[in-house]
Amino acid sequence: MGMEWYIVRRVAWAAIVTFIIVTITWGLMTAAPNPQVQAAVTQAAMDGENPAAAEERMEAQLQLDRPLHVRFMDYVVGVYTLEWGWSNTRNEPVTDALVTALYFTVQYSVPWTILTVLIGPIVGVYSAANQYSWRDHAATGLAFFGYAIPNFFFGIILLLIFGVQLEWIPIVYQTDVPVFSVQNVIQLTIPIFVLVTGSIGAIMRVSRNEAAEYANADFVKTAKAKGVSTYRIYARHVIRPTMVPLSTTMVGYLLAIFTGSSLLVEVVFGIPGLGRTLYDAVVAQDTNLVLGSTLFFTFVATIGNLLQDLVYTVLDPRISFEDR
Amino acid sequence: MATDRQSFDEIDWAQIDEETEREISPNFIIVAVGTALMGLVWAFDYFFVTGTYDAAIGMDFGNQYTPTFQFIGWGYDVTQLDWLFAFSLLLFGAYMILPLYQNPRMTKYYWRDMKRNRPAMASLGWLLFIFVIGVIGPAVIKAPTVDLMTKYQPPMFLEINNIYPINCAGDVVGGACQGSLEHPLGTTGDGKDIFRIIVYGMQISMKIGFIATLFVVTIGSIVGTVAAYAGGLVDEVLMRWVDIQQSFPTFILYLLILYIYGASLFLFIVLFSLFSWEGTARYVRSNALAKTEEEYIKAVQLSGASTYRVIRSHIMPNSASSIVTDITLLIPSFILFEAQFAFLGLGDSTIPSWGVLIAQGRSDLAFAPWITLIPGLFLFFTILAFNFLGDALLDALNPEADAEAEK
Repeated sequence: MGMEWYIVRRVAWAAIVTFIIVTITWGLMTAAPNPQVQAAVTQAAMDGENPAAAEERMEAQLQLDRPLHVRFMDYVVGVYTLEWGWSNTRNEPVTDALVTALYFTVQYSVPWTILTVLIGPIVGVYSAANQYSWRDHAATGLAFFGYAIPNFFFGIILLLIFGVQLEWIPIVYQTDVPVFSVQNVIQLTIPIFVLVTGSIGAIMRVSRNEAAEYANADFVKTAKAKGVSTYRIYARHVIRPTMVPLSTTMVGYLLAIFTGSSLLVEVVFGIPGLGRTLYDAVVAQDTNLVLGSTLFFTFVATIGNLLQDLVYTVLDPRISFEDR
Repeated sequence: MATDRQSFDEIDWAQIDEETEREISPNFIIVAVGTALMGLVWAFDYFFVTGTYDAAIGMDFGNQYTPTFQFIGWGYDVTQLDWLFAFSLLLFGAYMILPLYQNPRMTKYYWRDMKRNRPAMASLGWLLFIFVIGVIGPAVIKAPTVDLMTKYQPPMFLEINNIYPINCAGDVVGGACQGSLEHPLGTTGDGKDIFRIIVYGMQISMKIGFIATLFVVTIGSIVGTVAAYAGGLVDEVLMRWVDIQQSFPTFILYLLILYIYGASLFLFIVLFSLFSWEGTARYVRSNALAKTEEEYIKAVQLSGASTYRVIRSHIMPNSASSIVTDITLLIPSFILFEAQFAFLGLGDSTIPSWGVLIAQGRSDLAFAPWITLIPGLFLFFTILAFNFLGDALLDALNPEADAEAEK
């Protein structure tokens, strides 16, 4: 028993969750009429052919005429062996399209995550150290502003100011610039800024409230009495216990933003990343690509939550494994 | 009651026993009567209007447009969503507002706490404003319509180069069209009045908020109590499902479902509420588990209270503060989601919501920025208000946090 057993069970649970998600997506897709079949039927009706024959032909072509359990097994095996089908709009396998998209998504999500994880707790602790001063109020105001302003709306406004009026950044994302170049940094600054302001608020609030609890703790008083500087108290003694509860919520929270807001930001700024791929696939009715990107996002979410739980067990040795 | 003053021995104990057992509170009566009335109107709508309207006027609308109150000359078609909205308003009134009136002492206590928090009071005012205008407005103000002759009218006190509007409703000063009272917030590129869209958008936001709350609280508390009381395998399965739901990206799921089944506001609200009750379920479950060990619950159980009664009058009120706080943070996220989908052009395109307006103005940003800015600011302030309110409620309803702050 203990930590190893817990980790094994947690990983097994993550595998079960992915299976459940795969099953749900399959159920949803199977229960609904297939858009490709419907398109074929409509086409046949318009050309004056027999719609029923066209439906059968298309179903046979898409192998939809087989029994349900065979289709389900096929689907599950396909998902886990990464055979996610062919994307009609992109003319390449879905996995290739996703890898290309991931290349662009990573370019902004890595700096975004690092900045959020670094700045959020630091500003939160700083604001707890200066509780009820104007700095605290300014930080709180910023937190609420970032939390409340819709990312896509903020992005549009900033694009209007910096792209259209001042012409500092390109209006449409340039895909041909090298990753590590000044142009790339310039064109990614605003999207990253929008995402960071959107995600930093909640983390700042949580870390501020947590750190405020430790402001009068005995170990802080002891440190003060020994003559430790305020900076060192907060940097060494307060930020550590603050990070423990924060780490439990941060990953889930960032993932929620990753799967929601980043899609909007990609659409607003024209970044051809994962969110944009999913959006384009939905608009263009590319079923395989929709399914592929959906699964990708849900897998990322599952793995993220798994990592969060595992990190938590390492960070907080007090956790009990018995009742989990 | 003619004889208010009863002496002790005149009291009919049997009757009182019966009453306490049935638990007919005024709140319940209001809900029951209101639901019955709504049921009647709904039945009228369903049997006499929806089925017969097209035949009566001799035109085929395909049962799409069926004004419920045609007989009093009000051409408004009450939709499924309106019924749900009315029902959730009824429950909200009976179980949130009426108790505040019934317990004046606690109301005053919370009110005093809240009043000190100025941002929260401003937020409450703003949300009340949105609520009242949103509920009454669409019944009074006509729906926004396309009218190319009045396109690109600027809002009051603003102006636009006269090359954009065809027909300037206000004065033209030096080649620039001035805003006028006719369109106080201006118009869009296809001539829709922004003020009207904003008012209609308020109702949509309120519908999202109230109906989602109804679903989330109902499902969440049922699952929470069932998990706590059934225990064992049921508890395990339900809580594991809550885990999945918590990590499942609802945004992506909705995108998938929307791709398969098409978009509608009704589907949006139902789906998002069906996948967002995990917080409430967690709170209720942990509260139920913690409270069943308390002395007073044991005392109530010993004196013969049913499980339903324990849940209804002890567990739920105890969980109310966490639920209310959770909900105030959930509602703005729903409103934001709706705006995001509308912006992507994947939302319900038949409704005049704020997100649709933001998307519409995007191409005209350079010369008519108000089309995007006005709904964006409304959206921003509404989300902000919910957050401030949630923060204040967290402080006001959580005496433990209060005690800690005073320490």
